[in-house]
Amino acid sequence: MNIPVDLKFTKTHEWIKIEGNKAKVGITDFAQHEITDVVHVELPENSKNVKKAQPAAVVESVKSAFDIYSPVSGKIVEVNEEVLGSPELINQDPYGKGFLFAVEFSDNNELADLLSAEEYKKII
Amino acid sequence: MEKLLNELSSQSNPSYEVKCDIENDCFIPKHLKRKSDLGLPSVAENDLLRHFTNLSRMNYALSTTFYPLGSCTMKYNPLINERIAKHEAFNSIHPYQPAETMQGVLEIMHCLERDLCEISGMDYFSLQPAAGAHGEFAGLLIIAAHFKSLKQKRTKIIVPDSAHGTNPASAAFAGFEIVPLKSEPDGSLSAQKVKEILTPETAAIMLTVPNTLGVFEKEIAEIAKVAHENGTLLYYDGANLNALMGFARPGDLGFDVMHINLHKTFSTPHGGGGPGSGPVGVKSFLEQFLPVPRVEKKNDKYVLDYKKTKSIGCVKSFFGNFPVILRAYAYVKALGGKGLKNASAQAVLNANYMLAKFKDKITVPAGSRCMHEFVLSPKAALGNGVRTLDAAKRLLDYGYYAPTVYFPLIVEEAIMIEPTETESKETLDKFIETLNKIILEESADEPQRVKDSPLNTPVARLNEVEAARNPILKWK
Amino acid sequence: MDYTPQNKQDKQKMFDALGIKSEEDLFDAIPADLRVKPLNVSGGQTEQELLEHFKTLAAKNKTLVSFRGAGIYDHYIPSLVGEITSRSEFWTAYTPYQAEASQGTLQAIFEYQSMICALTGMDVSNASLYDGASAVAEAALLALRVSGKKKVLVSSALNPEYIKTLKTYLQNFNAKIVLLNLSSNGTIERATVDASLDDDTAAVIIQSPNYFGIVENMQDLSAVAKEKNALFAAVVNPISLAVFQSPGEYGADIAVGEGQPLGIPLSAGGATFGFMSVRKGLEWKMPGRIVGQTIDKNNKRGFVLTLQSREQHIRREKATSNICTNASLNALAACVYMSGWGNDGFKNLAETNVSKAVYAFGKIKNIDGFKAKFENSVFFNEFVIETIKDVKKINKTLIKNGILGPVDLSNCGKQFKNCLLFCVTEQRTKNEIDKLVEILVKI
Repeated sequence: MNIPVDLKFTKTHEWIKIEGNKAKVGITDFAQHEITDVVHVELPENSKNVKKAQPAAVVESVKSAFDIYSPVSGKIVEVNEEVLGSPELINQDPYGKGFLFAVEFSDNNELADLLSAEEYKKII
Repeated sequence: MEKLLNELSSQSNPSYEVKCDIENDCFIPKHLKRKSDLGLPSVAENDLLRHFTNLSRMNYALSTTFYPLGSCTMKYNPLINERIAKHEAFNSIHPYQPAETMQGVLEIMHCLERDLCEISGMDYFSLQPAAGAHGEFAGLLIIAAHFKSLKQKRTKIIVPDSAHGTNPASAAFAGFEIVPLKSEPDGSLSAQKVKEILTPETAAIMLTVPNTLGVFEKEIAEIAKVAHENGTLLYYDGANLNALMGFARPGDLGFDVMHINLHKTFSTPHGGGGPGSGPVGVKSFLEQFLPVPRVEKKNDKYVLDYKKTKSIGCVKSFFGNFPVILRAYAYVKALGGKGLKNASAQAVLNANYMLAKFKDKITVPAGSRCMHEFVLSPKAALGNGVRTLDAAKRLLDYGYYAPTVYFPLIVEEAIMIEPTETESKETLDKFIETLNKIILEESADEPQRVKDSPLNTPVARLNEVEAARNPILKWK
Repeated sequence: MDYTPQNKQDKQKMFDALGIKSEEDLFDAIPADLRVKPLNVSGGQTEQELLEHFKTLAAKNKTLVSFRGAGIYDHYIPSLVGEITSRSEFWTAYTPYQAEASQGTLQAIFEYQSMICALTGMDVSNASLYDGASAVAEAALLALRVSGKKKVLVSSALNPEYIKTLKTYLQNFNAKIVLLNLSSNGTIERATVDASLDDDTAAVIIQSPNYFGIVENMQDLSAVAKEKNALFAAVVNPISLAVFQSPGEYGADIAVGEGQPLGIPLSAGGATFGFMSVRKGLEWKMPGRIVGQTIDKNNKRGFVLTLQSREQHIRREKATSNICTNASLNALAACVYMSGWGNDGFKNLAETNVSKAVYAFGKIKNIDGFKAKFENSVFFNEFVIETIKDVKKINKTLIKNGILGPVDLSNCGKQFKNCLLFCVTEQRTKNEIDKLVEILVKI
């Protein structure tokens, strides 16, 4: 199971890459494996405000649908339109081409709750 | 493989034609006229008959095989009901005919309503909803209307995690927030836990009795008591009513609102996905909120009353799915009170007999007794990476339709079996033998064969991922 | 009759296997105080008795020659339709969850979807909904869901049953229904829509032909909705689409309607079915089942239920709708109905409907005491006639002559006092129309 050490994680299996005040978000390798073949994705609209731990996107397989929670509060500044047309990217490259969206976060304190790779490894 | 209609379509003469006995130009102004091609096929009647007949032969149906689909009550659909439903004096009636010219239609609706009340212990029914989920929706709107009239702000509905998906979906559709309730390992609910999550905002609890694991809710009286003390109503999902007829009535168990699936308990055919019928029933304090029109009897004549000011309105046009209602009424008149009770008794006997033959070999999460259906969890019995889905597909090779699988969600690798009362011991024995063989022998001896199944169906396992990723939803 | 097969010996064997004395022992879990007394439900009839009983009930209904529509139409149903829907492999099957064992139902629905798309000119159709009224309500919910807006504009000439149903469906939603006023020529004017449209409008819902039979200028109304980024939902009669502009042609986002004209009997108003088709991009927001084409392990073509993660059995409270059982067998009937005409034949059917309605309109409006309510309108099956005669007496006299007369429109507001809605389909012969006129002349 691939768990890159330079990323942060949530208990709900999102990964977060911090770039300045921007957090790039996707689902982990573990999550894509559990979900199985992703067939459809719903992403938030650009510039929409999201709240920490509130559903921001949906990832769907043939027989199930999973809410993806925003790990931080803030404004959506980027959405990965490519996964809408090619949802398989989430299975093939969950930490790269399969990322979902990026949030410009407002509260640095929220980052403290995120898990390190080490900590995430323990819960899966 | 059967060709598609557009592939069959040729220059041949089409099947149907119409003659106009009026010489009158059909003038349509240019700006309103259709310009694009209609794109309909042209197929001669002989070829069309073959096409659809061939298609029908690619279906497994209740008329061709045992259909032990849990929670769907696939009981025999009596042929006499079909014969009656084809009568011209029933299907040539316009819903806006004066009541005095359709007394037969109204009498049937009125009498079925009375019989459903007696069977369920409710006081009134509306036959308007077109399916179970539609009845749930109407029932929840009635609950909302009730609290509105009391000026109480109740916005939450408790739904157990073992419930059918339509329960939370219907509650959300009716504007409620869902409070999930975790069930016990055997699928039952604890009155204590119910009590703990009740708040002044809880409008209702939606329950299925027996529950979706086939177990009678043993604390139902206590649950009803704590709910009612809180001013909360009890909603009965009628999907499993086939277990109770003549033994217990939802109305007596403390339920205030319910729906019945006529296409389950009352033998009307499912039609490959409808039309069904989902009458919604209430205790008398809620009657004023039922959908309109209501069929009423005045001076020995049946009339339609549209003027109920507190009614939730209507959930579809007209009275309900009358042809389904008609069949259900014929079924009730065939069985009568005694026959209905016997139907439930046999349904429960059949299910228990099957359960007894499985329980020593395959894990049963809900104990060794059940009502009209039961759930197996063959996870431990299956070897070599064979899953429940594989076993289900393998059953198709033996000519059976597969039971419900992966439901209820709270049981791992669930197989949910509902034999109904209309299957013989011989049929049950053969099925038991086959399923045991697949799970216990084939999964061990030839797992790949099971994983590759079905092998004898018109098509092999289909690529559902591709179907959803790159949808082809009509002819190319 | 109770249709249970077990004989005494078999039952005894089953009791023995379970270690019980009778079925009663299996109901121990139900506490004694919750048990019920014997049910007071009459019955126990044999087949012959049932047939006799229902013959008596049938005799209490009167089969009439119908000049009444208002949402349910008397069209001819070809024999093939009944033959196919009577095949027990179709009518006794369940929803096609096990695709490999349900290819017949699945392919037929796929073909149904294809022909609904062809008629409406839209991209994606679902497998059917309950009826026209609930389809309109689902269309409004779809628009509200997609747009996140809070208002729908609805033609006041939408079938009153549909308006009532829409109101019921939306009663606990944070959404507003605004009714668009009818102009004096029986249509919805572009300016009326324009005046009510704002940034919070999710959809404009217009029926054509409308409740009064009149074909609306949908091109115009759709364009004005587009200008304000509202979705345009067309409520249409499927047979009329053979000759009138299709929703696809005028750029509708959603097309819905009552499917009953496509081979379903009147049956006291149901069971019928509703159809819904949408433009590409909305399919993941659609309610109800959808069938898709795919391939099996051996690359053979096959069909499955698809885009299922929209639905209640997966998404639960977040589903696009709570619908589960819909009206599959009636969609099959429509499939058989639509496939047997060919383009020219179906067009001829629609034109025959128009011609006969126009003929009747011309005759009735010229009777003394009767006149056209909307003189220069374009209509399909139905038209409105205003009269100075007693409306109740007209219908009573017609019933005596075995005729179901027009709908009395006095409930549709002051504008429609003394107005009658007549309906003429291809089923009505010249003789029947002439007889109707003859009776009306004498009133």
